[in-house]
Amino acid sequence: MAAGFHLISATPSRTMTIVLSWILFAIGIGFYLHTSAARHRENPEDRVTPTIGQMARGISGAALTVAEDDEIQTQPASLIQRFSTGMLWKDTIATGRRFLCSMALLFPAVLLGLHMGLFPYVGAFFLRFVLFFDKIIALSLLPILFIAFGIDELSKIMLIVIGVTPTIILDTFNLARSVPNDQVVKAFTLGAGDFDVAYRVVLKQIWPRVLNSIRLNLKAVMLFLFAGEMIASTDGLAYRIALLRRHMGMDVIIPYVLWVALLLFLVDLTMRIVNRRLHPWFRES
Amino acid sequence: MRKTILRTVAVCLLLAVPTFAQKPGFTVGWSIYAGWTPYYYLGKSGILKKWADKYGITIKVQRFDYAPSLDAFVAKNIDACTMTNMEALDMPAASGVPTTAILIGDYSNGNDALLVRNGFQIKDLSGKKLLLVQKTVSEYLFDRAMTMNGLRDQIKQVRLINTSDSDIATAFLSDVNASAVVTWKPMVSQILKQKGITSLFNSSQIPGEILDLTVVRTDVLNRPDGSGQRFAKALTGAWYELMTQMSGTGPSTDKVLAAIAEGSEDTLESYKQQISTTKMFYTPQSALQFSNSADIKQKMALVRQFCFEHGLLGSNSKSVDDIAIGFPDDSVQGKPDRVRLRFDSSYMQTAAQGKL
Repeated sequence: MAAGFHLISATPSRTMTIVLSWILFAIGIGFYLHTSAARHRENPEDRVTPTIGQMARGISGAALTVAEDDEIQTQPASLIQRFSTGMLWKDTIATGRRFLCSMALLFPAVLLGLHMGLFPYVGAFFLRFVLFFDKIIALSLLPILFIAFGIDELSKIMLIVIGVTPTIILDTFNLARSVPNDQVVKAFTLGAGDFDVAYRVVLKQIWPRVLNSIRLNLKAVMLFLFAGEMIASTDGLAYRIALLRRHMGMDVIIPYVLWVALLLFLVDLTMRIVNRRLHPWFRES
Repeated sequence: MRKTILRTVAVCLLLAVPTFAQKPGFTVGWSIYAGWTPYYYLGKSGILKKWADKYGITIKVQRFDYAPSLDAFVAKNIDACTMTNMEALDMPAASGVPTTAILIGDYSNGNDALLVRNGFQIKDLSGKKLLLVQKTVSEYLFDRAMTMNGLRDQIKQVRLINTSDSDIATAFLSDVNASAVVTWKPMVSQILKQKGITSLFNSSQIPGEILDLTVVRTDVLNRPDGSGQRFAKALTGAWYELMTQMSGTGPSTDKVLAAIAEGSEDTLESYKQQISTTKMFYTPQSALQFSNSADIKQKMALVRQFCFEHGLLGSNSKSVDDIAIGFPDDSVQGKPDRVRLRFDSSYMQTAAQGKL
């Protein structure tokens, strides 16, 4: 490059940015449509790569009709009623409930990590064990989880807890340790107690980073949740996908996967907005 | 150094090109089940190679988990695959991959079972938890058990819990709230070892309804160069050579059975126990007799009705007749222009006549 012109300092125009950011999507969709069309030309009954029309029919069927394993009631008339009794909504609620339960369980993990980082006795007590626990591949211990927690909701949530909390604990621990000691000393000098320092000095300033860390672990949470639902359950998004896989119901599976991606994106976005609102002074993410 | 590599590559190419160019290659996928594990031994012992050489082709044997083997077959990654009659209908056939069953290996004669704890009776199951792999032969067996006991209207009241087959034994044993389970051997044997568990219904009460087949894609069979036909003949020849070895008695048979059991990390005793509840068609004559009987049509009628009622034939199938089944006597269940699953007994017939 000629001197004085660096690509790194380029500023693409707004239109350019928008166009560039959608190119890979367009290529992906185009590639899919091409494959799908080619496969359907060769075999009109192909179920591996459904066409857009088939997927639309599949998802509207899934969203608006009652799951076959439910009691057939008289079909309600309005669209919203039909949606709220439909299979998709029922599965989303079931998975969403499990998701929220396990998210709620991540908060004690944050507190534990904070205390481990600040209070040497707590740290000495937990650190080695959590470090060890973090390396356990929870999925391979399923039989033990079943014996300990049954096969209902609890074992699914515990799978997530065992899989994700050690990461959160260790991350919070590191964040708490990274707060400069001067600040702690200063707070003590100004007359703060142990817990004032813990909650009002340290926790307060690491909180946005902790939220970020939870946000980045959303996918791990979802992965464990899906694994749990595929192993034993009666409802949930992953349960439906597991069932549909048995007869290649890709026309519903693909929209389901996109729906999950959308929901995860929305949760992620909400957490980012909340984080920015709560901590306007924090400029990192 | 570079020269050596180049030379090696050149030699490899010279060797590889003629062998691959002349001999068409085929792949058979199999998964672990008493009636299918023989494929492991067919590949290992060289029996299959002998038959493949005779017909001038090469055959590769590949082990899969059950569901991925079906996916691979539907995606046309493999040419032949082991599967039950039900999956042959609702996976490849219903996905527009015309499929031909060339070998009827056996039928489940007690391998699949409905087990309960606390001495429950079949009429008590309403409202109780039942673990099973949904939408498979397990659900079919449960459906048949309820129907045959006149409890068809109560099927919906049983709480079915979809449970992966790899975890079903521990899941059932560790959860005392689960009243019943439908699964297959070896899990059935494992669960029955626990005290207080009884078997209410098993597949010997519906003989011939859960068939274990070797299927080949119809387009492979119909290849213009005839290599597909030769592939089917080689498979059939190898299969019945092994069946003869398996059906004997004495130490030489035990040796073969132990070698087969090895394919699923199993012991000879356990494998023999599984075979005892599997009705193997050891001779081509016996398989042929079954496949030409009126029986098989009756059983398939039940299976296809079940598949349709459970939406397993796909959302495009408006009627059970949309995915038709063809039988050896050229009769068809469903629309004659939509035959997707065909039972072809001609290979078993040739084997029975000793003309392979």
